[in-house]
Amino acid sequence: MESASSGREATTGGATVCPRCAGEDVTAVASSPVPGVWQVLQCGRCLYMWRTTEPARRTRRDAYPRQFRLTAADIADAAEVPPVPPRVAG
Amino acid sequence: MPYDDLRSFLNTLEKEGQLLRITDEVLPEPDLAAAANAAGRIGDGAPALWFDRIQGFTDARVVMNVHGSWRNHALALGLPKETSTREQVEEFARRWDAFPVAPERRADAPWQENTLTGDDVDLFRVLPLFRLNDGDGGFYLDKAAVVSRDPEAPDDFGRQNVGTYRLEVVGRDRLGLQPVPMHDIAQHLRKAEERGEDLPVAITLGNDPVVPIVAGMPMGYDQSEYEMAGALRGAPLPLAVAPHTGLDVPWGAEVVIEGVIEAGVRQLEGPFGEFTGHYSGGRRMPVVRIERISYRTDPVFESLYLGMPWTECDYLVGPNTCVPLLKQLRAEFPEVRAVNAMYTHGLLVIISTAKRYGGFAKAVGMRAMTTPHGLGYVTQVILVDEDVDPFDLPQVMWAQSSKVNPREDVVVVPNLSVLGLAPAAEPAGVTSKMIIDATTPVAPDRRGNFGMPTRDLPETAEWTQRLRSLLAER
Repeated sequence: MESASSGREATTGGATVCPRCAGEDVTAVASSPVPGVWQVLQCGRCLYMWRTTEPARRTRRDAYPRQFRLTAADIADAAEVPPVPPRVAG
Repeated sequence: MPYDDLRSFLNTLEKEGQLLRITDEVLPEPDLAAAANAAGRIGDGAPALWFDRIQGFTDARVVMNVHGSWRNHALALGLPKETSTREQVEEFARRWDAFPVAPERRADAPWQENTLTGDDVDLFRVLPLFRLNDGDGGFYLDKAAVVSRDPEAPDDFGRQNVGTYRLEVVGRDRLGLQPVPMHDIAQHLRKAEERGEDLPVAITLGNDPVVPIVAGMPMGYDQSEYEMAGALRGAPLPLAVAPHTGLDVPWGAEVVIEGVIEAGVRQLEGPFGEFTGHYSGGRRMPVVRIERISYRTDPVFESLYLGMPWTECDYLVGPNTCVPLLKQLRAEFPEVRAVNAMYTHGLLVIISTAKRYGGFAKAVGMRAMTTPHGLGYVTQVILVDEDVDPFDLPQVMWAQSSKVNPREDVVVVPNLSVLGLAPAAEPAGVTSKMIIDATTPVAPDRRGNFGMPTRDLPETAEWTQRLRSLLAER
């Protein structure tokens, strides 16, 4: 993974943070085939993925809708669906 | 003449005026999804949408709304585009009777032209991925056919499942996958995980227009979707063997992704704007590790917008939900005339039936709830008389408004099963269900004052034709 430090428009202040959970472990997973147009970034904590050219409501922490935000507790408490079944002997 | 791949169907859509090429450059977000969302707001004749000038991409082809109107659904089945909804459902039911039609094995699948394996596997190199709805956790593959086999019967073709499940891109070579417990792949995964084994899967994108219809169809566990595709096409479906997993996949696919669902692994997935018109997500779901991608040269990426109905999803799973319910009900109750299960994949169902005796219609309603699909859907059933068209909502509302005495005709049964995505369930997966019996009571159920119904005049059918002719000749 390349660093997201070159990501465009995805920052609040200086460092790139995840718009959804404010996680700081953000990496770039893809870049535009036309060089320099956009990057696709991903948060290592909540796995949120976004393109740097998307509207602010999807890319900026301060504009990201409250109902879609995730806290560390939301991530830690997320239910397993379906639950992993117990191993069956034999 | 059935279509063996997506491209040949797109040619037909274009010739029929049902494919619109967007020639201006668009943004990947929000334009692609917003345009497909808008297609669902411009009426029944909406076309498929083709995009090939997308900002930042040099070589992308995206098609959306391929099944997103009754015209396009009719053309997918090889019917004239003017075919009415009810006629499409009836023709679908007729073709169902030819099931099973064995597939045809065909060599030299076009998707064998290009391959990525090992460290080269990268979804972003093959597909112009993009987001659909604001709150989606990422970019989704939502119109793919996911193929898996029963780990306890790996050679059983009938138990090989082909289903559409939402797939979230969570890495260059990783996909989150949502297996709803009522769906066959959840059974395959449970059996594999009980053995501590990964479950091999093949994911095919950009299929011929009948494969998405059967992949979203509620069929029996041991019934082959491929053999149903043959019945609906009126010709065997061409299949090829996926090279890495040995699974059977459509010969005509644009892209074939192969890998495994990793045993015992769950990762955060979603949310995703679902067919219920609500988001679901924020749960830990199984993960696919991709090991090989095969694809046609210049692949076409087919995606589907879904959100607040109606969207393409509702056209795609409307008739294919009506017909299995109709067949399963008629197997025991030949009095059932027609089933409209087009609302939210059959969360609400309208059934037209004759009555054997008093109370019969309510029994039909209860049976609908206990069909395989009903266990996860069918939270509300409206029963109407045999002369009411369940696809004609004004007629249904007339029946309900005039025939229903709520105390006797509305039955609520508590604590029944429903899929976890149903927004009104509480807790998720459990709901009450309701029968509204809007049929005319028959003996020995002698309630109400229904002795003197008005009916269409005997001459009305002839006059209907006459008026239509006069209007057409103007």
